[in-house]
Amino acid sequence: MDINCNQLDDLLLEGDRFSLDLAARHAQSCEACRKRLAGWNEISATARELHATWNNELLWPRIERDIRTIRAERRGTRTRVWQIAAALFLLAAIGVTAWIAQRRVHAAAFDESILRASAVDEVERAEKAHIAAINHLESLTSTKLDQPATPLLVSYKEKLMMLDDAIAECQGAINRNRQNAYLRTQLLTMYSEKQRTLQDVLREDNNHASNQ
Amino acid sequence: MDASPLNIDSARNLSRPVPNLTTTPPPRGSEDDLRLARACAGGDSDVFASIYDRHGERMKSIAYHQLGNVADAEDAVQETFIKLHRAAAGYNGEAAFTTWLYRILINTCYDMLRRRSRRIRETPIDDLLHAGHAANAVDDVKRMALRKLLSDLPEQRRTVFALFEIEGLSHAEIAAILDISEGNSKWILFSTKKQLQEQWKK
Repeated sequence: MDINCNQLDDLLLEGDRFSLDLAARHAQSCEACRKRLAGWNEISATARELHATWNNELLWPRIERDIRTIRAERRGTRTRVWQIAAALFLLAAIGVTAWIAQRRVHAAAFDESILRASAVDEVERAEKAHIAAINHLESLTSTKLDQPATPLLVSYKEKLMMLDDAIAECQGAINRNRQNAYLRTQLLTMYSEKQRTLQDVLREDNNHASNQ
Repeated sequence: MDASPLNIDSARNLSRPVPNLTTTPPPRGSEDDLRLARACAGGDSDVFASIYDRHGERMKSIAYHQLGNVADAEDAVQETFIKLHRAAAGYNGEAAFTTWLYRILINTCYDMLRRRSRRIRETPIDDLLHAGHAANAVDDVKRMALRKLLSDLPEQRRTVFALFEIEGLSHAEIAAILDISEGNSKWILFSTKKQLQEQWKK
């Protein structure tokens, strides 16, 4: 295979064994290319001798120590990460427990308030029955008290008017605070007093009639 | 420097196979390479020791030709192993493990050169090195001259020349290490040698 001098660069660029053999064959018949190829090969040959080797027994221990240090640091970092994760988990667990406990307290308070409301309803039902009975008693005495025949009946009438005012005032306070047990006791006492007074009115009226 | 484009046509006129100037796929990492990287990520000292035994000498030589002195070359090799340990978990087998290792080394050398803002030291250190040949005065002069010329080359040219001519790596391997095409690697070597040859004559 014949090549010319201009193709030498392409062969050197390719640089494989076949190309260099081809270039060498051409160089045998061309002085300029022979010199150029010799210089080319001389650089390669000299370069091969530049491969540097030396022993340093301390290099590997240095590398090994560095790797161990990094590994230890990583382990330390991993431990810290776990510690932080555990702390966060603990915080979350405490938070959830507190939330559940709060919910239970709220639920208990809600249940208690329902129970209290039902108890108040029951008291109010009893009160209404009691008041209805007293009102019935009052209707029986109303004709006697409209025109009282004796001074005692006059004083009973005044007492009943005072009791009615006190009952109305107490009822107004109860309407503002249905669950106030003290006010309800007061109200019951006043109704009881009214009941006794009305009974006294009936007794006085009977006594007055029998005397006449 | 001869920056003329590659004359592919004249090469094709030869009655021989067309020169391989296209990029061949770089060697990919095998299952063994992936296992090796996993062991490195785990910090297995024995694995690092075996890598050092197998590649340490060449790594030192590559670093030496980039940095120009033994101390810096050893620092670069040391730093490369540290980077290898740190980055091994991210190795995905896209390149062969050896290619990846040398790529880390070369980049470490480049970083060191930039960091230290200095070029290769010119102090001859042949007395420290054990060249595998019968030394004589003429050869010493040639080696020193070539080393001096190499130290004046730009990073990439010096790297391609050193990896191919000194360390005996193939263009496919160099291309993978430097993330360039194989054709580009051939072209850089050719133009570098041409430049060196002209300076060599002087």
